[in-house]
Amino acid sequence: MLLLTFRDLAYRKVRFIVVTILGAVVFALLFVMTGLVNQFNLEPAETVEQFGADEWVLPEGVSAPFTSVSVMPVAALDAVDAAAKSPVVITRSSVAQGDPPEEVVLIGFEADGLGAPQVVEGRVPAAEGEVALDRTLDVGVGSEVTVAGTPFTVVGLTEATTVLAGIPFAYLTLPEAQMLAFASTDVISSVLVAGDVGPLPAGLASLTSDDVVEQTLQPLEGAIASIDLVRALLWIVAAIIVGAVVYLSALDRQRDFAVLKAVGAPNSALLGSLALQAVLIALGAVAIAAIIQVFLAPQFPLPVTVPTSAFWQLPLLAVLMALAAGAVGMRKVLRSDPSQAFAGAGA
Amino acid sequence: MTVGPLTVSDLVVEFIHDGYAIRPLDGLSFGAQAGELVVLLGPSGCGKTTLLSCLGGILTPTSGTIRLGDVEVTAMRGKQLDAFRRDDIGFVFQAFNLIPSLTARENIAVPLTLTGHSRKESFARADELLEQVGLGERAGHLPSRLSGGQMQRVAVARGLGHNPPLLLADEPTANLDHIQAEAIIRLLQSLRDEGRMIVVSTHDSRLVPIADRIVQMVPPDQHEERPTHDVTFGAGASIFEQGDPADVVYVIKSGSVDVIRVLADGGEELLTQLGPDQYFGELGPFLGFPRSASVRATSDVVLTVYSPRIFREKVLHKH
Repeated sequence: MLLLTFRDLAYRKVRFIVVTILGAVVFALLFVMTGLVNQFNLEPAETVEQFGADEWVLPEGVSAPFTSVSVMPVAALDAVDAAAKSPVVITRSSVAQGDPPEEVVLIGFEADGLGAPQVVEGRVPAAEGEVALDRTLDVGVGSEVTVAGTPFTVVGLTEATTVLAGIPFAYLTLPEAQMLAFASTDVISSVLVAGDVGPLPAGLASLTSDDVVEQTLQPLEGAIASIDLVRALLWIVAAIIVGAVVYLSALDRQRDFAVLKAVGAPNSALLGSLALQAVLIALGAVAIAAIIQVFLAPQFPLPVTVPTSAFWQLPLLAVLMALAAGAVGMRKVLRSDPSQAFAGAGA
Repeated sequence: MTVGPLTVSDLVVEFIHDGYAIRPLDGLSFGAQAGELVVLLGPSGCGKTTLLSCLGGILTPTSGTIRLGDVEVTAMRGKQLDAFRRDDIGFVFQAFNLIPSLTARENIAVPLTLTGHSRKESFARADELLEQVGLGERAGHLPSRLSGGQMQRVAVARGLGHNPPLLLADEPTANLDHIQAEAIIRLLQSLRDEGRMIVVSTHDSRLVPIADRIVQMVPPDQHEERPTHDVTFGAGASIFEQGDPADVVYVIKSGSVDVIRVLADGGEELLTQLGPDQYFGELGPFLGFPRSASVRATSDVVLTVYSPRIFREKVLHKH
């Protein structure tokens, strides 16, 4: 069966190569789409984790810190009865370095408090005029930028500090962020609490970090659903490609199968040959796709993080899909009549 | 490789085609012994390949029996037939039907591996058979690089892979020039001489002299040429029925007839109505086919009956 299968693959190599490449392009897109959805899901969790908080105290009625405007008096900090707590400012702003400004989420933090940035290069902003930026802004330490029109020096860089599909964070000291965001040091956006938040006074509510993650993901649900739909369509396209070539192969080999049936070859061996072709095409396409996605993913404007599980789930699904898609061709083999072997040349 | 006698008794194969029934085989009977080369002789369409399909257990006849030694082939079904084909029958197809992606050697070996033989054993057997058919040096060639005669020899070798006692060959010399055909005929002779029963369908008369037994699929015209004469049929009488042997041609002198196709479901389809000076039933005797329709008198009718030769000379040429 193996010899029959590989010889046929070699005999019709141009067709199989073209189909494998087509399939690889589709599977590469599937890898990237999977990576996008994965990144959407990972992003808020990774970002929220860096704040180091268990609870987020917000004014009652505010759904989440990154998806709605949150303003509360700084006095609310005293009203929160928790051992470890820090005020933060969270607001939308923009960062520019000569080029058109880019949208950022501005975070104002207290030195050594919850919400302070975990820089991977440089240091944490400690004085007026200093900012730490997420790496995706592609600005180096020591660069001069403007935040909401005010000049700042980049002193540190952070990683995995983005929300809402790639909006990067810009960290300032709390007073400077308060002034930029509210033109006042009397208000903050939220109080971060490590441990139990305890009873809250009227007008304040708390969200767990998990709630914040969930709420931050909510605006992307439509995008994720759309990508999932595109992924489903890509699977259908892949199935059509593999199914069509297996069906064509079954048609081309109908006489061969009739001859082999006539000489007593069991259906299982013939089906196995066709099924193996389908599986090899699918696996070949996935293998090439795994290479293509390495070059394709960086071209996407959004971060793409292909999960490790995709590298075994996708081939497994591709094999199942290839077998299902090839079923029509395999049915053709089952139905091929051994008496066709007696048909004359060209019949 | 010993095999008992082959006995074919009253074999009927009926197909439904375009709504009506046709019988390529209608009551065929013959027998053959091991070590005989049986030639099924007849024109295209006379049922030779249908008979080979029945003998090989590929096609189940409508009625009748085929026995090979103690085995009743026509009583077997499904896996029994698969095993029968795998163990007892070798096939040689008219169109060679070699698998184009496999070399000559692989074309012989792969069917063996697919039917349970080890890879090593299968390739050793393939090498042995290629030597036997004189193609040892062509073992690694794809069919596209072999001549027609070489492909046919590979096809014969493939048919012999499992050393079957009965080899069925469909038009093995068709599409071959006389040199290639001669090589195939010699090969069949040598295989017969090994004690194998070989049944060959052909319309190639070159095979006749080496045949031990000839089965005429269309009986030769044994009718004495009857003189032209008139016959009378009453209204509603059947002049002949679909499937009857055809030996004469009718010209209507007076009266009229219906030409009717009998359908598979037992119904009838009126093909045409004929009257004085029109003729019918000429193609069957010319081509050696049975009647393809029934003809019935729709009134009292007087017909002139001609032998095919006289009809051609006296009637057709006049028209």
